[in-house]
Amino acid sequence: MSSDQDHLQETDTEARFEFKKEENAAVKSDKGLTEEIIRMISEDKDEPDWMLERRLRALEQYQNMPMPSGWPGMPDLSELDVEEIIPYIRPDVDKREGVDDWTELPDEIKDTFDKLGIPEAEKNALSGVGAQYESEVVYQNMQEQWEEKGVIFCNMDKAVQEHPELVKEHFMTTCVPPSDNKFAALHGAVWSGGSFVYVPEGVTVEMPVQAYFRMNSEGMGQFEHTLIIAEEGSEVHYIEGCSAPKYGTHNLHSGGVEVFVGEDAHVQYSTVQNWSKNTFNLNTKRAICEANGTMEWVSGSMGSKATMLYPCTILKGRGSTDTHITIAFAGEGQDIDTGAKVYHNAPDTSSTIESKSISKDGGRTNYRGLVHIADGAENSSTAVECDALMFDNESTSDTMPYMEIEESKVDVAHEATVGKIGDEDIFYLQSRGLDDDDAKKMIVAGFIEPITEELPIEYAVELNRLIELEMEGSLG
Amino acid sequence: MSAGTQVHANLTEEQVREISDGLDEPDWLLETRLEALAALEDLEMPDVIRTPGRDWTNLHELDFESLVDPLNAAENKDQVGPEDAEVLPWSEAVADHEDLLQEHFGSIVDPQENYLTALSTALFSTGTVIYVPEGVDAEDVTVRTEQNSRSLFNYTLVITEESSSVTILERQSTGEEAAEQYYSGVVEVAAGENSYVQYGSLQNLSEDAYNFTVKRGVADTYATIDWIEGNLGTQLTKTEVSTTLSGDSSETQIVGAFYGHNDQHFDLDAKVWHRAEHTTADLVTRGITDDVARSVYEGVQDVGADAWDTSSYQRENTLMLSDESEADASPKLIINNHDTEASHSATVGQIDAEDLFYMTSRGVDPRSARNMLVEGFFVPVLEEIDVDELRDDLEELIGTRLRERE
Repeated sequence: MSSDQDHLQETDTEARFEFKKEENAAVKSDKGLTEEIIRMISEDKDEPDWMLERRLRALEQYQNMPMPSGWPGMPDLSELDVEEIIPYIRPDVDKREGVDDWTELPDEIKDTFDKLGIPEAEKNALSGVGAQYESEVVYQNMQEQWEEKGVIFCNMDKAVQEHPELVKEHFMTTCVPPSDNKFAALHGAVWSGGSFVYVPEGVTVEMPVQAYFRMNSEGMGQFEHTLIIAEEGSEVHYIEGCSAPKYGTHNLHSGGVEVFVGEDAHVQYSTVQNWSKNTFNLNTKRAICEANGTMEWVSGSMGSKATMLYPCTILKGRGSTDTHITIAFAGEGQDIDTGAKVYHNAPDTSSTIESKSISKDGGRTNYRGLVHIADGAENSSTAVECDALMFDNESTSDTMPYMEIEESKVDVAHEATVGKIGDEDIFYLQSRGLDDDDAKKMIVAGFIEPITEELPIEYAVELNRLIELEMEGSLG
Repeated sequence: MSAGTQVHANLTEEQVREISDGLDEPDWLLETRLEALAALEDLEMPDVIRTPGRDWTNLHELDFESLVDPLNAAENKDQVGPEDAEVLPWSEAVADHEDLLQEHFGSIVDPQENYLTALSTALFSTGTVIYVPEGVDAEDVTVRTEQNSRSLFNYTLVITEESSSVTILERQSTGEEAAEQYYSGVVEVAAGENSYVQYGSLQNLSEDAYNFTVKRGVADTYATIDWIEGNLGTQLTKTEVSTTLSGDSSETQIVGAFYGHNDQHFDLDAKVWHRAEHTTADLVTRGITDDVARSVYEGVQDVGADAWDTSSYQRENTLMLSDESEADASPKLIINNHDTEASHSATVGQIDAEDLFYMTSRGVDPRSARNMLVEGFFVPVLEEIDVDELRDDLEELIGTRLRERE
């Protein structure tokens, strides 16, 4: 991989600078995204024609689609000037491959990692400092072990080159077509980087597949694409390392995640998201589940200025199962609008959604969920549970579930509660000698436990630390 | 869709003037009507829930132009109440209590809130004002409206003074069977300090009818507004019941029961706005969908930033008796103050197979067992109704509809 980068750096400098010029011109002429820019990206990546065609089609769809509007209580996207996206397609060239040295990182990021108490090597990986080199060493061995079993795990750009048949069939076709929403279309036009995971029939990948390294892999991590294909009877746990805050210049993250869960397969997708607080995080994540397949989404949303993200599972095959566990934490100036979508399109399907949120210092959290049970999805069941914890009356916590039930032989339940931290609980802990802050932290840690216990220990520790830091108000 | 498509070619100022003249209304009221008429052009239909790919209720398909026949309104009306409260037909209220009307008319439901409220304000020809003086406990106020014309626009205003109370039973039904009818009702309730209002409503219009209703109350300090909302008739109903708890320690309860069969479509909203301290709300709705009927429920509990010490609860349960029916629900919590205890829940399901098995194994035939279970399902709602007559009527209508079922 490193030689690829060298190659890119050496040979494409001119193209990249030209590209930059194009970009500036586009901004000046107020045209927004242009076909020229898309062609440039595709050429830069040496992509096959079919991918370029998909990008161009997505661009056309993007241009014809309206911004989301009219959603009750939707986050304010007015500061997001889509015309201004252009400069962000390509972060400036210096940072394209990540910085070379820890000292070059923005203070905010360094500070965060220091406070997290994360070891230097891990910090480097998390922050994208020479991520490819550092992490390659770490992950190379694992990759070999998987490769023997036929598992493919590589970055998405590489997958386009090396596994065109699989990508051609699955990339933004049936799962997340660009026509899904404006930001999916945007993603389809300018996507870059991301992960490709293929697990053959019957193979269990025991270790979680972690994707720290991709943060800066091609320098355009904010439009990364993740494609996971789990064949019949396979099992994999994918962890998305969005835990590294992005550089301050990025203001839009519009990723795309597609998961194909084969018959009897089991996929868990975990995310700990901590984007910088000037980022608009507008993602589209979706899974299609075949008969008796199981999809599990685990996500912790900490960062960003505004998040609109509703991971979706389509229960397509009989007996398939979906689980969502999410936690959102919104501090000052943050609007985390997140939830879950489940389409029960086959009989005997089941889903459970457990959503927890914490809002503090004027932050807003919202659970926005859609459960659709199609006519004919007999004996399906869904249970949605939302709990919100609020710290003050500056903050807001909303719950907006939508349930569309077209089948009678079902069991549908939605429950939500909102409350402040119990005075009695705090009093109890204080009377045992804890100070007010520690008591609150402890209660919050207990509150989010359902999430942390689903994560590998290092992520759980990190999530806990992030929340503690948020509670102290000491995080960038 | 733009509301422009809904503008009536055949509605005129002259018609509105004629209605207003006929009721001997003062100029300000005529003006309010004319402004509402003029606003029709720019107003949208009431909000309906939208999820990917669909509007939960389609109001744009209704042909208001042919449904609305403003000068031929006809109804049979009972407006009765105890002697110590005033229960006045609209024209009497205009003559005797202009000051009350001027203070309250349109203050709770904005006439120009949407296309249908404006239409109702411009064209209403019948109404009731219920005024309960300080300290009076008024029971058994009855307002019964039988619609005998293509369209009917009804307006109701309830004002309770300090420490008074009233129970009101309103019923809407269809008289002479006309093919398609449109019934529109606006209800405003101003509950004074420490007063109590229970407003029960039983809508049993013909199943060819369309219905739009807004019932909204504002509760002052220590006041309570309880709503009972029974919906059985019409082919399409769009209704909202809501309370603004604007006084400290005010309370509200919204109890709903519906039973949709054939191709009925009910779009039912229950909403509460907590705007003061120590307020309490309890929203309970139970309903049935059968055949190809569809229910759409939106519940909102909105707790404002100043609403300290709020308690707010909401439950909605739908029982689906048929596979072809659809039950959609969106119970929303909007919480801006952390000193809140709030919960909501919604369930959809069918009759519990075990319950049914238990009863049939005790010798009850399956059909009776099913009917008993359905009737039992409504008990938590029926129990909340203070007015015996309303409870009995509702129970009977549910029972009848159930027994009609194959």
